[in-house]
Amino acid sequence: MRSYIIRRLLLLIPVLLGIIILTFTILQFFDPVQRASLYVTNPRQFRDIPAIIQKYHLNDPVYVQFYYWIKEVLRGNLGWSKSINLPVTDAIIYFLPATLELFIFAVPLTILIGIRLGRISAVHRDKPVDHVTRGLAIAGYSLPTFWLGLMLLMVFYGFFSGLFPPERLGTAADAFVNSAAFTRYTRINSLDAILNLKPWILLDALRHLVLPVITLTVVNIAFVMRIMRSSMLESLGKGYVVTAKAKGLDEKTVINKHAGRTALIPVITVAGYLVSGLMAGAVITETVFTYKGLGWWSVNAAIQLDIPAVLGFSIFVGTIVVLTNLVVDLLYAYVDPRIRLG
Amino acid sequence: MLVVVVVVGAVAISMRKTTPAENRVVKNPDTLVYETIGEMESLDPAWAYDTASGEVILNVYEPLLLFKGGSTDEFEPRIAESWTISDDGLTYTFKIRTGVKFQNGDILTPQDVVYSIKRAMVQDRDGGPVWMFLEPLIGVGTYSTRDSDGNISIPFEQINNAVTVEGDSVVFHLKQPYGPFIQILAQTWASIVDENWCIAQGDWPGTAETYENFNNPQTPPLQEKMNGTGPFKLDRWEHGVQIVLMRNDNYWRTPAKLKSVVIKKVDEWTDRKLALLAGDADFVYIPRANVLEVENLEGIRMIKDLPTLAADAVFFNFEINDNSEYIGSGKLDGNGTPTNFFSDKDVRLGFAYSFDWDTYIREALLGEGKQPASPVIDGLPYVDPNAKKYSLNPAQAENHFRQAFGGALWENGFKLTLLYNTGNEPRRISAEIFKQNIENLNPKFSIEIVGRDWPTYLRDMVAGNLSMYNLGWQADFPDPHNFVSAFMSSGGSLSMFQHYNNPLVDNLINSGIIEPDPAKRQTIYYQLQQIYYDDVPSLMIDQVVGRHVERDWVNGWYYNPIIPGTPWGGDYYPVWKGY
Repeated sequence: MRSYIIRRLLLLIPVLLGIIILTFTILQFFDPVQRASLYVTNPRQFRDIPAIIQKYHLNDPVYVQFYYWIKEVLRGNLGWSKSINLPVTDAIIYFLPATLELFIFAVPLTILIGIRLGRISAVHRDKPVDHVTRGLAIAGYSLPTFWLGLMLLMVFYGFFSGLFPPERLGTAADAFVNSAAFTRYTRINSLDAILNLKPWILLDALRHLVLPVITLTVVNIAFVMRIMRSSMLESLGKGYVVTAKAKGLDEKTVINKHAGRTALIPVITVAGYLVSGLMAGAVITETVFTYKGLGWWSVNAAIQLDIPAVLGFSIFVGTIVVLTNLVVDLLYAYVDPRIRLG
Repeated sequence: MLVVVVVVGAVAISMRKTTPAENRVVKNPDTLVYETIGEMESLDPAWAYDTASGEVILNVYEPLLLFKGGSTDEFEPRIAESWTISDDGLTYTFKIRTGVKFQNGDILTPQDVVYSIKRAMVQDRDGGPVWMFLEPLIGVGTYSTRDSDGNISIPFEQINNAVTVEGDSVVFHLKQPYGPFIQILAQTWASIVDENWCIAQGDWPGTAETYENFNNPQTPPLQEKMNGTGPFKLDRWEHGVQIVLMRNDNYWRTPAKLKSVVIKKVDEWTDRKLALLAGDADFVYIPRANVLEVENLEGIRMIKDLPTLAADAVFFNFEINDNSEYIGSGKLDGNGTPTNFFSDKDVRLGFAYSFDWDTYIREALLGEGKQPASPVIDGLPYVDPNAKKYSLNPAQAENHFRQAFGGALWENGFKLTLLYNTGNEPRRISAEIFKQNIENLNPKFSIEIVGRDWPTYLRDMVAGNLSMYNLGWQADFPDPHNFVSAFMSSGGSLSMFQHYNNPLVDNLINSGIIEPDPAKRQTIYYQLQQIYYDDVPSLMIDQVVGRHVERDWVNGWYYNPIIPGTPWGGDYYPVWKGY
């Protein structure tokens, strides 16, 4: 097992190198003037475009640009994100807590509710509860995230006088967490509120989380639910489950211990995808609710051709995906004793 | 179930009852919240050239003087108590106020003023605002301290001698008279910084030997830090999220009424609108297309028809790049346009008489604009009240197209591609207007309209691939020089890509800026306006008017088209909240 884990971690290097080279190559399709547009924020700067190109080496040969960039990366410097005016490393650290906070609430809810609904649906196949569950899940999956988020905002922020507002904190709470009376251990507001023993900050943070978490959960539950249902149906039809029933085991034990456990394997795969996808940032949700995390930053950077930011983000997400897949493989072995790693 | 709740809720929103004024509660009475879409570039006054940064710098730092209220040609003292200008226009002397403190407690001295200006000229980053000091202090036509290879070309001595301390005053020594110099000093790039504090932050130590080391940095030392004399001080800058300013209780004038100002970056219009309606935001940026959604709503005040110093024009390219993909065959054969298409004045006049300003202003600007006659737009000095303008006239357009290229244009026709940058509806609409009106004249005339993202549009414009391009300009300072040089000069920031070269125009522009006699300046600028009409190198298509939206509990906001942040935000010193 240990050697397997080490081998998988070493795989990170060629994977990241591949991502970097691919991203760098794609970005070279934009010519120097297009890439200089990031630095041109008003028409008075048009005359300075040649100087800007020279200053930022935008016209140097690809291998020269790559050399300058990789030299700094090896020193831990991922460059400067012009779209947000921060070093790229700082930008990742800066926006990560917001995305993590959504992740902490949305992912467990999505997985637990999705698994539960999938099981219920499979066990009561073709009965009314199955039809209703599947219908609701598909409706949720079909709802455009953007539309759902805006509608929720209009109702629960607009009509109900700010019951569940956008952004991460209200004005007063925001001022307090940035004051000397509050320590930002993690910059995950709900967690920091608990660590600082400030229930009113926790309440404020949770109020601001309700709508984005609902939006993310509703859209992704169906995905998990359908995988779980299919997988559960397959498991329920397997010989060892029939044998378990024939031996006289109660329904609950058969479903949870025998069929349910092996049915989780495809769900674990989906969950891994969900985790890495959300870690990259729920772009639309973060934009609609002004809940600025990695997703918002990455799209903002891509639109403005902020190449250091795009490269830095690619490296970060590549790392997350590799690590997530490793965790998924380890979970397989735990869930299904037939699977051996190494 | 969720959909039902949402729909019912949306209906309910529209049926909400109004609240009597006496029962309205002011939210966050000590804090002004402004939600907008702009992201600041830098907190360094010598670096910042965008309005988002300028607005913050305006409220934390102070220059020697500032525009008085809503005026663009009257000034009131700030760091300077008073000033004089020599008769020959070469020497500006500012008596420096005493008893002013920076936010860290340091006392401001005349040496800080001198350091601030020199520091800016030493820094002179690519694409920065410092060219506005270089032209008057080093020489007209000097836009950079570096040559085209990026090497320093201005000796430190010239910077060092440009501004000096003399007793309790600071003296600027201009190379030639420069009409708008005082206006340049009234802006954020001329903000006064604390020399000792700057050096402690790793900034230029003030010596000749270190000039090159601090010239054109990748990022400035004061990128994230502020220490001004102004009514507010920086609390924190959360990149991409918000900037928070706190009242400076040691301000040399009466402290501001607001305790804090929060400027938030909120990209989504619905979020901003809901925040405004809920009272969580006091000012918001509203796109023109969404104005009607908040007009006449309870608790909202809208101020419209605010004159701006901003204009847009369509520029004709006199020498299109022959590799351009937008000129078809490249010949006057009905399948393309020749590279010298717009060098024929009759073609330009044909286009000028084909543009429908009324329709454009109505549809593209929703009525919020007017047609300027020339780059010397309303609100600037020396506007010629009798300046002629073009107007839609199909008969005249046809007349000129028939004459163009000795009749070959009318006979053979042409095919032209017009680009606009995607997302810019006014530019798309202006292209559609040209297409419709010109194609109606002759079935052999064909105009294709194509949208491209901004980086691609910029690339093609710089490369000379565009037959026409559409750009806008907002005043750096309220003087016609800022506009005629941008729109008409052979090396102008906007006109440089159109290859229009009229030596008389360049001479007049260079003469106008150094002419100390107002009457002679007027003659020069009137002549330039006439040449603009006669030559029609470009077409001024609009001078927009602005609007400001605020909660009705806000008081004290004033409008000045030249100060950064307006008409949405601006100067927060006089603002307070209450009924």
